[in-house]
Amino acid sequence: MQITLPQTARAIRQSRAPAAIRRLAASLGAEGAIGLALLVAFAIVGISAPLLAPYDPAAFSGAPLERPSADHRLGTNDVGQDILSELIAGARISLAVALGAAGGTVLLAVLIGGAAGYAGGWIDAALMRVVDVLMALPQLPLLILITALLGAGLGQMVLVFAALFWPGTARIIRAQVLSLRRRGYVAQARGFGAGPVYILRRHILPAIGPLIVFGLVTAAARAVVFEAGLAFLGLGDPTAKSWGLMMRYALNLPGLLLSDRWLWWLLPPGLCVTVLILALNLLGIGLEHRLDPRLKRP
Amino acid sequence: MKSRFALTLVSLWAVLTLNFLLPRWLPGDPLAALLDPDSSSYVYNAEVRGALEAYYGLDRPLGEQYAAYLTGALGGDLGRSIRLNQPVSDLLREHLSWTLLLTLSALIAASLLGVIAGSEAAWRRRSAADRLLVVTGVLASNAPVFFTGMILLILFGVELRWLPLAGGRTPFARYDNALEQVRDYGAHLLLPALTLTLALVGSKFLLVRNSVIGVLGEDFMLVARAKGLSPRRLKRHHALRNAIVPFVHHLTAHAGFAITGALFIETLFNYPGMGRLIFESVVARDYPVIQGVFLVVSVLVLCANLLADWLTARLDPRTQEA
Repeated sequence: MQITLPQTARAIRQSRAPAAIRRLAASLGAEGAIGLALLVAFAIVGISAPLLAPYDPAAFSGAPLERPSADHRLGTNDVGQDILSELIAGARISLAVALGAAGGTVLLAVLIGGAAGYAGGWIDAALMRVVDVLMALPQLPLLILITALLGAGLGQMVLVFAALFWPGTARIIRAQVLSLRRRGYVAQARGFGAGPVYILRRHILPAIGPLIVFGLVTAAARAVVFEAGLAFLGLGDPTAKSWGLMMRYALNLPGLLLSDRWLWWLLPPGLCVTVLILALNLLGIGLEHRLDPRLKRP
Repeated sequence: MKSRFALTLVSLWAVLTLNFLLPRWLPGDPLAALLDPDSSSYVYNAEVRGALEAYYGLDRPLGEQYAAYLTGALGGDLGRSIRLNQPVSDLLREHLSWTLLLTLSALIAASLLGVIAGSEAAWRRRSAADRLLVVTGVLASNAPVFFTGMILLILFGVELRWLPLAGGRTPFARYDNALEQVRDYGAHLLLPALTLTLALVGSKFLLVRNSVIGVLGEDFMLVARAKGLSPRRLKRHHALRNAIVPFVHHLTAHAGFAITGALFIETLFNYPGMGRLIFESVVARDYPVIQGVFLVVSVLVLCANLLADWLTARLDPRTQEA
């Protein structure tokens, strides 16, 4: 079944989106709503990839370097794999890396930032100096060095991303926890004999919820950029055909740019990476405005 | 400022130490494989193995190795490239100037464009031109550099054939005069620099636009306007001058991003800078060179950050109190 864009738009209008979704879109602003919609679209493609892809992306389903045809909408690559199927399967890899890295980053940021803000004193001072130093280091060369030594597996890459990305978010969370800790209602809860675990769970975590969401989105955007970049440099996981790796393989073909092959082999993965990054960053902008209404563009 | 300086020194030490420790912590060091009985490239001849260990100082205690490494690195000795059998410091020197040329020209172009477009857009806030520029700015600062670069390469290098596809100069070219040489270098620089400029200009434009808009609401702007100053003078001497402090901070602090972007762009355009060097070293698993690039880029970024703080303190005395 083919679904065209006007049909989809009509369907959304007729469905009269629930009030909750409309409210969310309104509070995120135009940028955030566009970003969220694009992200949901990518997620749907990623989740249903095996159903959507016309072929097994790893199977040699055609002759090498076929031009686009009814059988292979985006042609085939240099070993005869269907490019459209690779593209759809690539969404899974990018999203998995984004999700993993974002989750790891925020987990570390909440644990370390929360500990620093809640404990205060020398623990806070020491942790924040570590944050300062880590934030001063240039990330890409460090990433290249670590992945070159560690070897490239997606899982390892996600761990390295989390280990490098947490300081920025940790600093924001620490500041928020620090200010929350001094609020009256938290002090009162403590006066009634509430333990630190109860206060963290009941009063601090809900209040830093929006910061956590924002941290997730920014870390995801960075993870997508760096994964594509590392794969593009030939440092990605060679068994996970991501969009960056597709571009690397395409560029490895001698004289790729001299024929029009780049149109269906190089351009689509590049566009996918770009739009995914754009979606995440737009959502980030929307969330930032929601967190701090003063940032709203005058 | 003093604490910033201390932070830079500590970060520099962290970079040096990471550079020393990472290859020793992480698997994948080709040298370690030669000495590891479980690896396939284990050197069975004990005499050769001993000589290797002694040559690279691996038989000494870790602390001693660390001290030797630090003194070597501070003296400019970064080891030898496995691939090219040249001192790493020579390779870095050779490639650094290309990266600096690319990064600095893009930073200058992006700053000029960003300041001019940003302040004009702020004065014409909410006009069609302003909206268009904002959307372009958001798009340009989000697209990954290797994608923008690819599009420009295909457009200007392949389809229109206006500019050379790759390299930093025409191979084997002999220049009759300096002008010819500058033209050749410039033609090769143009596309990579344009790519990097596009990647950098978006955030600069948005920053200048927003800070000029912020300044426009200040009381001193009202007074200046009431004095009957010309719009030109208002724009240049009152609005822009006050909006420039956050821009200067952003500019230098953003240098790290610029150098990172340059690494990708050089790979794409085969430009003979540090990016090309690190790419070729990664392919050949030439660890001393990868480490050297990491060290040099880190030092550049740390210096740029320090410069950012110093300039901000000089330009805006209010920040000195804090």
